[in-house]
Amino acid sequence: MRILLVEDEQRLAENIVAALRETGLAVDHAANGEDGSHMAEQSVYDTIILDLMLPGKSGQSVLCDLRRKRVHTPVLILTAQEGKDSIIELLNAGADDYLSKPFDLGELIARTKALIRRGKGVADSRLTIADIEVDTIHQTVTRRGEIIDLSPTEYRILEYLTHRPRAVVSKRELLEHLYDFAWEHHSNVIEAHVSNLRRKLNAVGDEPLIATLRHRGYRLIGGGRRD
Amino acid sequence: MAVADVTSHSISITRRLVTTVLVLEFLSALILIFAVTFHEYRVELRGFDAMLTGTAQAMMGSVEDAEDVGDNLVLDLHDVRQLGKDAVYQVEENGGHVLGSSGNRAAIADILSSGEGFREITIDHRKYRLTILRAIRVIDPDSPSGGVKHNVTIVYGRPVGRVWHEVFEAIRFLVITAGLLLGVTAILMALLIRRYLSPVYQLADEANRINALNWQFDAPEVAKRTVELRPLARALEAALARVQLSFEQQKRFTSDAAHELKTDVAIVKSSLQLLSMKKRTADEYSRGLAISLDDFIRLETTVEKLLTLARLEQPPRIRDSRSTSFSCSIKKIIEEAVHQSSSFAQLKEIKVTTDLAEDAEIPLDRRDALLLCSNILVNAQQHSYKGGKVHISLSRQEDNVVLACRDWGEGIAEEDQPFLFDAFYRSDVSRSRKSGGTGLGLSICKAICTRVGGTIDISNHDGGGALVIVILPISKPPSVPNNFSLD
Repeated sequence: MRILLVEDEQRLAENIVAALRETGLAVDHAANGEDGSHMAEQSVYDTIILDLMLPGKSGQSVLCDLRRKRVHTPVLILTAQEGKDSIIELLNAGADDYLSKPFDLGELIARTKALIRRGKGVADSRLTIADIEVDTIHQTVTRRGEIIDLSPTEYRILEYLTHRPRAVVSKRELLEHLYDFAWEHHSNVIEAHVSNLRRKLNAVGDEPLIATLRHRGYRLIGGGRRD
Repeated sequence: MAVADVTSHSISITRRLVTTVLVLEFLSALILIFAVTFHEYRVELRGFDAMLTGTAQAMMGSVEDAEDVGDNLVLDLHDVRQLGKDAVYQVEENGGHVLGSSGNRAAIADILSSGEGFREITIDHRKYRLTILRAIRVIDPDSPSGGVKHNVTIVYGRPVGRVWHEVFEAIRFLVITAGLLLGVTAILMALLIRRYLSPVYQLADEANRINALNWQFDAPEVAKRTVELRPLARALEAALARVQLSFEQQKRFTSDAAHELKTDVAIVKSSLQLLSMKKRTADEYSRGLAISLDDFIRLETTVEKLLTLARLEQPPRIRDSRSTSFSCSIKKIIEEAVHQSSSFAQLKEIKVTTDLAEDAEIPLDRRDALLLCSNILVNAQQHSYKGGKVHISLSRQEDNVVLACRDWGEGIAEEDQPFLFDAFYRSDVSRSRKSGGTGLGLSICKAICTRVGGTIDISNHDGGGALVIVILPISKPPSVPNNFSLD
């Protein structure tokens, strides 16, 4: 999953980026409203964390522009302002959630993940595909009750595919959502990661789970159910 | 209780005006009554006298020849109609022969001998006004002897009360009219004044709408048109505009300060939480703690600056700050500030030059003076290009010392000019906190200068870059008492 953080406060941004990356999310950072607006319009982000007080273009106008341009990426607002009025105004303008500074880093991560799930139309933090269960909180995968030991990248690939159960996910889409700006460097290794993932999953059950569609990408087999 | 007290001691302009007008009107009425009484009395008296004279002359005409041998006289009053029942009179011939009389003869006899004219006497407890008329009646003037001459004296009088009766009638009419006028005036004035004062009530109603959330005050048009209310309406508008401005500045400052502090706390908190997200190596912990400490120091700096600003914005305890014991050499302070910032200057390769020929004692606490100078210097360095230069000079201007600090940087954008001294205002926001500025430096400088009656001003230099001009008063030499002896 790929997150966009728009925050002008350098030190705070560094900490948030580090924390999100440690939980296995890919994060891009914009230090001002204009850059943030421009990056968010790429629509490759699964959630946007937006500070309100930004130099140049304010967080609120970034949000309004996004919604006007029909970008529906979930937006979490960071604010140091008091007052229910501005919060109501922001939620009405299309924000999905908000956190007041100084916030709890753990809460920020949890709310971000919840927004990612909501953005994919999922409420539960545990995703089930056929006989596989993906716990997005603890980042564990079990098949028929047995824990499958995956590398962080393998886990992220599986989680992303689980979030889009019936869709064909292209290699580019996977790369865009799993890595930060530097995703192009990873394009050669993604096939290896998918191959490893497929091997590890098949070690427990024999039915193949990930189908490769030539020149199109990957698709989860048996992805009819998620609850 | 307090409200009751206020009401019982309250002053009503309406009541005062009505009372004043009524008192004046009453006094005028009194004066008028006195004048009219005097005039009326004189007119009536003249008429009365004319009547007396006329009657007396008619009586004189009634003195006739008795047609007897002695050529005597006789009084026949049948033709004198206006004689009056209350009249007193006596008609006397020379030698005391009384031709006719009425009333108290003894009383009249006293004045018979006096000259012609009018007299007032009291007869039987009643005041009478009498006229004395003397004439010579000649009987048979056609006779060869030239007739017989009789000296006739007539005293005729009537009660003077008639005159007063007329005067009192006139007074009565006046008093009733004046009383009615007073009543009508009082009612009309009360009504009209209330109406005329309606702009005051409208102004009060408008002023009553002001509260902490709504400072908007527009004096009603009618109040502004009323000459007497115009100064009050304008003063209210101006005062409220000032209060609103200061209130909003305060509010903005509080909100900005909260934002600043929350951000700094958020950084410290997130640094520590990031560190505790999972088990880390001793190296990672030690690096994380060092970073957290840096973050914490920044929070501390912000708090410290806020407290400094709060302290500086408190009014000084002694009114004339020049006479306080605080005093320091501006030259030494600048040298110290230059020394302090030399590492930053080296880092940016900025050359700092000084021209400190003039020195002066300024009435500032050493700490504040250093804060002022280093803030100005660091500000100039921060806004200089790498490899640029900063020049500081000192000069004297009468009782003031002028500190000028010039840089050759990008200068000040026109839109930033009005806000440069506002707390938390950062001209170049994208550079903002990264450069370490809290946005409080210039506010602190201004507070320090204002506190001692000095000024600070920033403008663009014609030759490029910004120019900061600080004007500070010079300390007065400590006064030594004349008769002070060391023994």
